[in-house]
Amino acid sequence: MILDSLKLDGKVAIITGAGRGLGRAMAVRFAQAGADVVAAARTLSELEQTAEQVKPTGRKCLIAQTDVTRSDQVNAMAGAAIKEFGHIDILINNAGGYHKGMGKPLHELTDDEWREGIDTNLTGQFYCCRAVVSQMLKQQSGKIINIASGWGLRGGKNVFAYACAKGAVLQLTRSLAITYAKKNIYINCIVPGIFEGAAQFFQGGKFIPLGRIGRDAELGPLALFLASDASNHLNGAFITIDGGGLAGGITPTGVFPRQTD
Amino acid sequence: MALNEALKEFSIEGKAALVIGAELPLGAAAAQVLAEAGANVVLASQEPGTGDVLKDLNKKIAALGRKTEVKIQSAVTRADLSACVDLTVKQLGALDIAINAMDVPFFAAAEGTDDTAFERVIENNFRTVWMACQEAGRAMVQHGGGVIVNITSIMAERGVPNAAVYAAAQAAVLSLTRSLALEWARKGVRVNAIEMGWVEDERSPAVKDEEFGQTLVKYLPEQRLLKPEELGGALLYLVSPAAAYVTGQSVAIDGGLLCRV
Repeated sequence: MILDSLKLDGKVAIITGAGRGLGRAMAVRFAQAGADVVAAARTLSELEQTAEQVKPTGRKCLIAQTDVTRSDQVNAMAGAAIKEFGHIDILINNAGGYHKGMGKPLHELTDDEWREGIDTNLTGQFYCCRAVVSQMLKQQSGKIINIASGWGLRGGKNVFAYACAKGAVLQLTRSLAITYAKKNIYINCIVPGIFEGAAQFFQGGKFIPLGRIGRDAELGPLALFLASDASNHLNGAFITIDGGGLAGGITPTGVFPRQTD
Repeated sequence: MALNEALKEFSIEGKAALVIGAELPLGAAAAQVLAEAGANVVLASQEPGTGDVLKDLNKKIAALGRKTEVKIQSAVTRADLSACVDLTVKQLGALDIAINAMDVPFFAAAEGTDDTAFERVIENNFRTVWMACQEAGRAMVQHGGGVIVNITSIMAERGVPNAAVYAAAQAAVLSLTRSLALEWARKGVRVNAIEMGWVEDERSPAVKDEEFGQTLVKYLPEQRLLKPEELGGALLYLVSPAAAYVTGQSVAIDGGLLCRV
């Protein structure tokens, strides 16, 4: 039955950026859906709080203090996951987001700011994919969910490293999908619009067709769908969750051209 | 059935759904999934002589404990489509979900496609979808909301020889999806599309034309055709509250084909 195919019983899910916000919410939800989770992030105290919230579900939560921009740490995290659980079924590449220099015009962006943007939002996802794919090949199964952004598809004023990195995440997804299609490893991508974390910059989201900013809780079901067997044979797919923003964009939101005579 | 906490947004228990094109493989699969997830369903066919197919499907859905109705119409006219909407509201108490799965493949060389063929292809694959969206949308706006999913093809994104008009009709459905989503965004109606890859369907050249089919399958990332029921997970995601922030979008189910160069 279709609803059963959404369950994650017996699966192991690595979630990066799991120390707060969306990553933590996903860790809890995945555990509710039956998965053991590996919570990876930089700050140990935040990971401990995530583990506390997973506890009532009765599922295991392995804490892995990890900076995803460091490949040695990412590899160690994947190794710890295999040692603890013996398999890795799901990777959610959730870490990323704001970086130093975001919002600066190009001529003011320093080398370090550019590198931080690319490392945080692209290289980290590459390291994590690489760290789990060999295990998934052994298992002949796996699901990877990359997180891109509307800025991966469209340009943004003073959004350079971030937009370039997110655009590259789409390409990483496509090539991974093609490369491992016959190995029962599926790689898909969530393309979020504006969500709560960035709400303060966007005045309530009146410019979004649905008239509001997305709620973090709305990303959970999508991640769950893509991590579950219900999405088998979606491969290299981008699912945009943005209140309709990317469907339009060539007219101001909410302004309708008048009827022609 | 008590739903797992993690899956609660995927429930469509008691919702009223209309599937047009339920006699076809994808429409039948859609109806089955909606019923499994708790919806009551009106099965509408655009072809006379499809009574037996629909009766069987009707039995399967009734066995799940859902209310179901069958409507077979002699031609695709506005009055018939409007009657489908009215029947759903009358028998099921509302119209919460409308699935447009009508599809009549047409492959022929451009030089040999006459005006009658052109009009028929556009009528069968685009005009009917437009009219059904309009009729369903009208009822949904009036009753405070609803969800429409148009099932189209990855041909909406790419050129296909001997399919100039048929592929253009698929692209037209995708475009329609985007504009209607923006128009109805603040009226509670979400409109999305599913773009299917090459499906096991006896009417498709992938099955009917052996030589083409064999070469095609070797070219596909998974080297196999999709089964109609593989649209189920994405369809349920899009019609359920899980996708409350998703409108004007399409989800490709193609095993990764669109990622190819």
